[in-house]
Parts: sequence; C-alpha cells; structure tokens
Amino acid sequence: MILSPQKFSIFTEHFIISSIIYSLIVCTLSVYCSSSLTLQKTLSDCIALTLFLACFMTIDNHLLQLDASSFFDAVINDDLSFFTKILVCFFSFVYFFVISDFLKDQKLTSYEYLLIILLAVLGLIFMCSGNDFLLVYLTIELSSLAFYILASYQKNSNYSVDGGMIYFIIWSLSSAFFLFGGSFLYGFSGVMNFFDYCCLLDRFYMMDAGFWLDFKLEAASWEDLKNYNYINESLSLLNLGFLFILLSLSIKLALAPFHLWSLDVYENSPISSSFFFAVISKLSFFVLVIRIYYICFLGVRKSWQFYFILLGIFSIFIGSFSGLRQRKLKTLLAYSSINHMGYMLLALSTATTEGIMSMLFYMVIYMISGFCFWSILLYLRQKQKNLALKYNKELGDLSLLKLSNKTISYTLLFIVFSMSGIPPLVGFLAKLLILLPLIKVSFYFAAFSIILASFISTFYYIRIVKVANFENGIVGKLYMPLQTKKLFILGYFMFLLIFFFFNPHSLHLMCFKSSFSLLF
Amino acid sequence: MVGIDNIFFVVSGLLLFSAASLIIFNHTIYALLSLVSCFLFTSFLMFMLECEFLALLFVAIYSGAIAVLFLFAIMMLESKYMDLNKNILTIPVGLVFFIVLFIPVCLELSYFKTNSLSFKSFGWVLGNLVNWYNLVDSTSDIEVYGQVLYSYFVLHFLIVGLILMLVLVGVVSLTNSFQKNNIRFQQISLKQLSRKK
Repeated sequence: MILSPQKFSIFTEHFIISSIIYSLIVCTLSVYCSSSLTLQKTLSDCIALTLFLACFMTIDNHLLQLDASSFFDAVINDDLSFFTKILVCFFSFVYFFVISDFLKDQKLTSYEYLLIILLAVLGLIFMCSGNDFLLVYLTIELSSLAFYILASYQKNSNYSVDGGMIYFIIWSLSSAFFLFGGSFLYGFSGVMNFFDYCCLLDRFYMMDAGFWLDFKLEAASWEDLKNYNYINESLSLLNLGFLFILLSLSIKLALAPFHLWSLDVYENSPISSSFFFAVISKLSFFVLVIRIYYICFLGVRKSWQFYFILLGIFSIFIGSFSGLRQRKLKTLLAYSSINHMGYMLLALSTATTEGIMSMLFYMVIYMISGFCFWSILLYLRQKQKNLALKYNKELGDLSLLKLSNKTISYTLLFIVFSMSGIPPLVGFLAKLLILLPLIKVSFYFAAFSIILASFISTFYYIRIVKVANFENGIVGKLYMPLQTKKLFILGYFMFLLIFFFFNPHSLHLMCFKSSFSLLF
Repeated sequence: MVGIDNIFFVVSGLLLFSAASLIIFNHTIYALLSLVSCFLFTSFLMFMLECEFLALLFVAIYSGAIAVLFLFAIMMLESKYMDLNKNILTIPVGLVFFIVLFIPVCLELSYFKTNSLSFKSFGWVLGNLVNWYNLVDSTSDIEVYGQVLYSYFVLHFLIVGLILMLVLVGVVSLTNSFQKNNIRFQQISLKQLSRKK
C-alpha cells in the first residue's frame, strides 16, 4: 500500500515531530560547543512560534474538512478533533510564550525541559484525533511519560522527585487498568477501532428501544433464543471492559475517589509543570472520554451513565468541601480543578449532543480562566531576596495585592468571579449550559447538587478576592515589576471572559459543530 | 502416550507453580530464579502455540535483559535483610484482593464454558487451535509481523519510536548534571569492597 497524500492527514503532527527532532539536534550541538550557554528563553519563544504555525496549519488544512479518516481508521478528522487540536495548540503556544521568562528563576535552564513539554503536547494532539484503542493507549503513554519527567525535573528538590514518583506510580497503574479493560473489550469483540464498536453495538441500541424484546417473544427457534442469551451474557464482559477503562480515565482526570495524587503532584512539582498538568492536559482526556463512550458505547449507555453521575457528584462535593480549609494556592487550584472536572463529567452523563456541547464550552472557559490564574501565580515574585524564588504560595502571600499591583488584583478578581460563576462573566453561562441538558433528561438530583456545590465553592473563591483586596493588614507584600507583553496576554484573556458573556455565539457555534460531527 | 495436550497442561502447571513460588520465596535470589523459570515456561508455551518469534523474544528480552537487570540491582543492594516475612499481614490482604478481582473474571469465563455452543470444557484452550501456518500461506512468522506492522500500524510504530526518543532525552536530562564545580564521584574500590554486612 502506498500512502497517498489524500490519506495523510496528520500534517500538524508531522510538522511538530520534525521541529522537535530538528531543535533537539541543533540545541545538542550548540550546547556541546559552549556548555555554559543557556538557551531556554530563545528556545521557548521558538517553540511558541512552532506551535502558532501548527495552529495555523490545522486551520488551513482543507483535508481535515473532508471528514475522512486515515491510517486504516486509526486517525479520524472530524470537527471535534479539528476544534480540540486548535485549542491544544493555541493554549500551549501561549503557555510557552508565558513561561519563557520564568524558567531561569525556577532553575529549569536546560533545553530538554521545553522539548519534553513539546513532546507532551504532541501526545495530547494525537490523542484528540485517535480512533483506535491501541493508538490511544500509545498517545496516553507518550504524554504521560513526558508528564512524569516534567514533574520530577527539579532534581535538587526532594518534593519534586516525590511528586514525580507519585505521578509515575499512580498513572502507570491507571495505564495498566486501561490495557486490562482494552483486553476484555478485544476478547469480547475482536476489534480495536471505535467505529467497529459503534457498528457492533447498534443492535443493542435497538434492543434498548424494545425492538429486541419483540424478537425474543417471537423467537422462531430455540437456537435463536440461545444466541440471544449468549449475546446478553457476553455483554457483561463488555461492561467489565469499559468500566476498567472508565476507572483508568478517571484516575487520569483526577475525578473524586481517585483524586488524591493530584494534590501532591500539583503542590510538589515545579510551577510551570503543574501549570501544564492543570490547564492544558485535561482537554484531550475528555475528548477520549467522549470518543470512547459516545462513539463506541452509546448503545449500552444505560450501563455507564450511572457511574458518570456517581463520579461527577463525588468530584463536585469533594472539590468544593475540601477546598474550604485549604490555604495553599496550588492545592486550592487542584481542588477547584477537581470541582470543574465533576461538572464536565456530569454534562457528559446525559448522553446527548447538548451534553458534549456544554462540556466543550465549559472546558474552553475552564482553560482560559485556569490559564490566567496559574500565570498570575507564575508572575508574582516577591521582592525580598530570599523569597523571590518561592513559587509555592499561600493565600496570605496575596494579601493587599490591590495596593501593590492594581492590574493583577483586578484581573484576579475577574477570573475568580468567572470561575465561581457570577453573572457578568462567562463562567455563569458555562454553568448554565451544564445545567440545561441535565434538567432536560430529568437528572434533577445531579442538577441540584451542582447548584449546591457551586454555592459552597463560591466561599473559597470569594476568600481569594477578600485576601487580595480587603485584608485588614498594614503591611502587604511587594512584588517584582512585570513586563508589558506578558500582561497583554492576561488582558486579552480577561477581555475574552467578558466578551463571551455578551457574545457567546462564535464559541457556541464551534462547540455545537464539533459535538454534532459525532452523530454522523 | 504423551500427547501435546498433556505437555501443555504440565508446562502451564509448572508456570503457575513458579509464579506462586516467586511470591512465596523470601530470598531475592530464589525469587529471581523462579521469575526466570516463569519466563522460560511462558516461552515454551508460546513455542507450542507456534508463535516462534514471540517465544524467542521472551527468552531474549525477559530472561536475557530484565533478569540480568534485576540481578545487578540485587548485587547493588544488601541482600541480607530477612525481616520481610515479619510483615505477614500482606498475604491475607493480597488474598482478599485476589479473590475480589478474580471472581468476576471466573464468572465471565464460566459463561463461555456453559452457554456457548462451540466452547466445550477446556476446548477453548486447545480444541479450536487455529494453525497459523496454514492461514498465512507459508510466510514465516517474522515476515507476517513485519507486513502487518508496517502496513496497518505505521502510525503506532512511529509513536513507539517517539516514546523511545522521549525516554532517552528524559533519562539523560534527569541523570546528567552540568554544574561546574560538582563533586567528582570517584570509585574507591577499597571502600566499595569493605562495606558492612
């Protein structure tokens, strides 16, 4: 078989792979010549440019619009993969632009760090368009191996190594669960492609609608009935398979009963790494959840909806209650992320197109506001000499931020209000869009617990605002001055948070289009 | 008369026995030896299922590379701590987990045995054995693997290559230190040999 250009639809990934290899060679040779050379700032900007070009290539690639799958259906190019690829590329482009100045303070001066992040981004992009259990497993491994290295990159700090070890053990366990579940599914059906599962389970979908019941009553012979029993019982093997896969994915997304690793990892690893884990990595795993549960197993949705609701309600309650006593900002953000993941999983539990749409909308808003919050944590460096390198901040470090840096404090206020869902900002719309499909399919209990949990979690969001603006202290903290071009990004994202409230149509349309592409 | 079925059962019984002894033995060397015997019996089973390439791969990679790696790790450690067997609580806990995880699997498999038409008792192990040699039209094992891998799994193969590159870069950057005045680690053979028991 000759790979024709029509079938080769991974131009973006190909571009990123070649730029990784090229920059690896160039950096190795240039550092070999002069060992004291530190390339991190230049290389970071260069990689940001690469990812911007990759974003452009994804938009410009007309083959993607053909909705064709390539590599024997291992890679699918629908609107969902198109949209999420652009999102991942764009946010990691801005991420590289933001971190370039702060790598030196964290003592992450080696160029390999950036290349490893780029490889993780590559894995995430592949994951968005993966349509085959084997390919998806390999992309998970590619990105997660990069995550372990990123978490344990500060070799001198025991905390960082500790975080890396926790990450490695828990995530390799969850990868093993993924393989275990995948082997059950393969044993049940003998196929690995998502489309094949979709075709295979269509008859169960009909059985669900009562079609199969009539067939059973009118069963012509004993043989047919026996076949029916056989299928029904081997269905439990299928259930076991996709429950193991759900277990593995919920460990990776840090959903509530399996969330404990995320607190330690976010707190212990260097801040630019945990920034990446918390903001950028979540989207692709959710795309995976959508693909596996909405394409493969929509026919047997009665079996997984219960677990989705259970995990979702657990996550929103643990995320909102445990955050109340937390004063470390990174751990607080981890709890807040668990909370948001719970909302998104509940949106997916409806098994409707509106569910996917509202989940994607919420995810974009989560990424924007999370990006702003983490970059503020990265920007703020205290002026005292021994504290300038301290990146693990507590709530008290933000006290009287309003007096020392007005811009940052107002931005923080907007972001936090958007996260908690207060009306003139887009977080309110995102939460509303989660609630509507839940009420439409009459999951009233889930909708009620979303409202309750968002009330509770508003407490710790508002406490951040209170500490930053209205603290009764006399002496606040002084911070290093900031560059204008870095603040430009913050301002742009803050503008988006307000703009999308008044004009959500563009984003809404993209989410709607990508959720609709799954139907056909 | 010793049929091939009986050899199959004997070898798989030995495999189970060596897997159990891997857990039971306290001494690390014995545990390592039973691990190696596990790999060898598995590769023997593979030979009997006519997957020669996989069998050779098992011998080459697992007992060749990984067992040697373990041997090095054991040599580096002090092998004389024997208070592992004091921690007797692990066995019942492990048994509980084993039972909880194994019962559903057994139940699932029992459906196959009782209800389906073609799966007779133990027939699904050996009775429906498809002779691969007849199916693939006399191309050898490795050729088939190559053809499938390079035509149907190109992208997978490339991603495996990328994973290997990532691991290489990561390991080099995590273990290498470019500090200028670092303490040079010298091997003092006298100190190494005269360590405490």
